[in-house]
Amino acid sequence: GGGEKEGKTWKRFQSYKGESALPREVESLRICVDRKAQTIVLPVHGFAVPFHINTIKNVSKNDEGDYTYLRINFQTPGQLAGKKDDTPFEDPDSTFIRSVTYRSSDGHRFDTISKQITDLKKEVNKREQQKKEMAD
Amino acid sequence: MATTQFDKIYYGLSSEVGKFRVAASGMAWKGEENDTVTAIPSAEVKWAQWCRVARNFQLRIGLKDRRRETFDGFLREDHDKLAGLLKQHFGVTLEVRDVTFKGWNWGVTDIQGQDLAFLVSNKTAFELPLSQVANSNIAGRTEVSLEFAPSTPSGKKPSRSAPDEMVEIRFYVPGTQARARGSDA
Repeated sequence: GGGEKEGKTWKRFQSYKGESALPREVESLRICVDRKAQTIVLPVHGFAVPFHINTIKNVSKNDEGDYTYLRINFQTPGQLAGKKDDTPFEDPDSTFIRSVTYRSSDGHRFDTISKQITDLKKEVNKREQQKKEMAD
Repeated sequence: MATTQFDKIYYGLSSEVGKFRVAASGMAWKGEENDTVTAIPSAEVKWAQWCRVARNFQLRIGLKDRRRETFDGFLREDHDKLAGLLKQHFGVTLEVRDVTFKGWNWGVTDIQGQDLAFLVSNKTAFELPLSQVANSNIAGRTEVSLEFAPSTPSGKKPSRSAPDEMVEIRFYVPGTQARARGSDA
């Protein structure tokens, strides 16, 4: 059949239309939260890789010795818990990034980033909830 | 012969800026702090690519011995000048590599030379150098994890402005599950 998946309503979202829209801070090769674009930009071996907040499930943080580890968990199919209609299933046969873990000696900054991501996620979820209630 | 210079260029992933020079004899990068020089003689140049990375644009040069050198920090408007110089001096075309900024976490993985590329809608999202994979693991048939060795030497505390280091990435690969293909096509 065609590419349409019956029963699933998948809303299209996009972080940036082009490279010029990337925030300047990505140059530092550090994680950056772009609230306006509802996006987290991760440094991956020199690349600046945006992830829309809709792709993010949650973040977790832990301290080990001199370092703080920040793990970003993404929405993927095959996770029974937290199954939602707006999980991106455009092509369920794709390879999904499930999680990415970073380490830093600056635990305070990872604290801040973790909080920023969690707050942005809450904000977006709340807005979605309000939209749903309006539609009912 | 004339030499063209580009300022504030990074070599590889290093944090040191330097000058990048192009002449008929080859290319060279010289660091501002340590005065280290990386030179690529013209006879070694095999191909050239241009793509958007975190530190603006990257010039990647493929060498005869299959190694690759990368230089970050070029500006968008440097492209035409650089393309002209590479053509003129080394007879190579500066190939533009499209990078995606959609923000999606699903796509296709593709082994390209010594890298694992992650492509979204046929455009590169990022590349992982396989030489830096310290460990890999497959869990439950559908999850693949890659661990990377930290680049900061142990015992040496990195500075507060050091880049964030990616230590692990996990992929969910549903395609590896046995499926009845074509049964209801």
